[in-house]
Amino acid sequence: MPAELLRAKDLGVGYGAHAVLHGINFAIERGDFMGVMGPNGAGKTTLLKTFLGLLKPLAGKIELTGAGGGRPLFGYVPQRESLDLHYPLTSLEVALMGRFGRIGALRRPGAEDVRIARACLRQTHMDAHADKPYRKLSGGQKQRVLISRALASEPEILLLDEPTNGMDINSEKAIMELLTELQKEKGTTVVFVTHLMSTIERYARRVALITFQGKLLVGAKSEMLAPDVLAEAYKSR
Amino acid sequence: MMQILAVPFLRNILLAGILAAVGLAPWSVYVVLRRIVFSGAAVAEVASAAVALAVLFQLAPFPIALALTVLSFLALSRLADSSTLPPETLVGMIYAGGSAASVLLIAKAPRGEADILNILFGNILTVPTAMLWILAGVFGALSLLQYLAAKEFLISAYDPDMGRTLGIRVGLWNMIFYGALGVAVAVAIRAVGALLTFTLLVAPGASALCLTGRLSRAFKLALVFGVISAVAGVVLSYQFDLPTGSTIVAILAGLFVLSFSASRLRA
Repeated sequence: MPAELLRAKDLGVGYGAHAVLHGINFAIERGDFMGVMGPNGAGKTTLLKTFLGLLKPLAGKIELTGAGGGRPLFGYVPQRESLDLHYPLTSLEVALMGRFGRIGALRRPGAEDVRIARACLRQTHMDAHADKPYRKLSGGQKQRVLISRALASEPEILLLDEPTNGMDINSEKAIMELLTELQKEKGTTVVFVTHLMSTIERYARRVALITFQGKLLVGAKSEMLAPDVLAEAYKSR
Repeated sequence: MMQILAVPFLRNILLAGILAAVGLAPWSVYVVLRRIVFSGAAVAEVASAAVALAVLFQLAPFPIALALTVLSFLALSRLADSSTLPPETLVGMIYAGGSAASVLLIAKAPRGEADILNILFGNILTVPTAMLWILAGVFGALSLLQYLAAKEFLISAYDPDMGRTLGIRVGLWNMIFYGALGVAVAVAIRAVGALLTFTLLVAPGASALCLTGRLSRAFKLALVFGVISAVAGVVLSYQFDLPTGSTIVAILAGLFVLSFSASRLRA
């Protein structure tokens, strides 16, 4: 199996004709635990959505090498605030959505799908909340359910958008330790986006740093968090 | 009740009410959750303009109304996604434009206004047996679609990005959703009138969502509320000599007030 899951070549990303980031060259390798960091509005979510195929690259290309040779199976964890809380869904129903891509069109989830969704809730320690309304859970619990949903799709790579945003330090620790555990035990590749340097400092192994100049610097944590690199990255245009 | 069942035209009214409730109530859960409540009202105005246009040019009104209703829903879904304006602005403009167009076209139509309004808005009291078969066939097919495509309709509205990531064709399923909704609305308006159609497209789902925290239960409750209102409305309107459509609407509104109050009390 090739080591690289994703390689960006001279990639430009943005909305419409407006480029946010350009000239991106880097790779995500199997088993990576990478944090994507940058100031608010720098293009972190845009980059993530381009990797997922939700936005088309404005320039360059992305080469994907999944286990089958084609597109890898992505497990996407969006910002939990983006989901509509009017929907009366239980944690299990939310986790079950991760199976939808595997079931096939015009088919309903079966007993095996429910079993897998429950197992994923167990993995994130949310099995006791399976039948509780998702909208009534705390921020940290919601995040765990969304991670379960992503795991239910049996992904090769987990992409998480601001997974600890708005959480207290204990909830953040619990979520990030869960991701670390998943990576260690199952070898799942994890890429998370955050604007919090403290999260990167504590948990990331490799760092992709988006600069104010619209560039992406990628390297080991110690290298990317060096004062001179950060000063250059956060220097305004 | 037995008296109603014994008289053919009353039986037709009862069956039309039940079929409309069974056909529209489950959609109402989606309509409320997708926040497209007023789209139904706006598209009904477009259907009205289409009928008036057909009458003016002496064409068959129903196929034209059906086609324009479906197209309006599809256009609304596409424009709402891509426009820089909030979706309710588009709904408001379609409502205003459709209303104005139907009034202007009726004013110039050769047939009498009352005649056109009857074609336009149907009347539950005059539902012919043939229309009952159409209602049963169309709503039966749409209910089957809803059952089979439940996961596609859910993810396309709840988390479209996740849906796309999973390889689900969100754009296509949204088109199918709005197209099917358009067919349901067009057929229901022709059979039982615009006001009852619009109310059945909102009230059962809104009441159900006040009372339950489970989506699957919301669909069942909406169905129960719709059917109870239709049956009670027909019986009460017969008993007290009231307009049938408005009686059903009043019961649906009453059920919503009770459900909403209960949810507030519980909270």
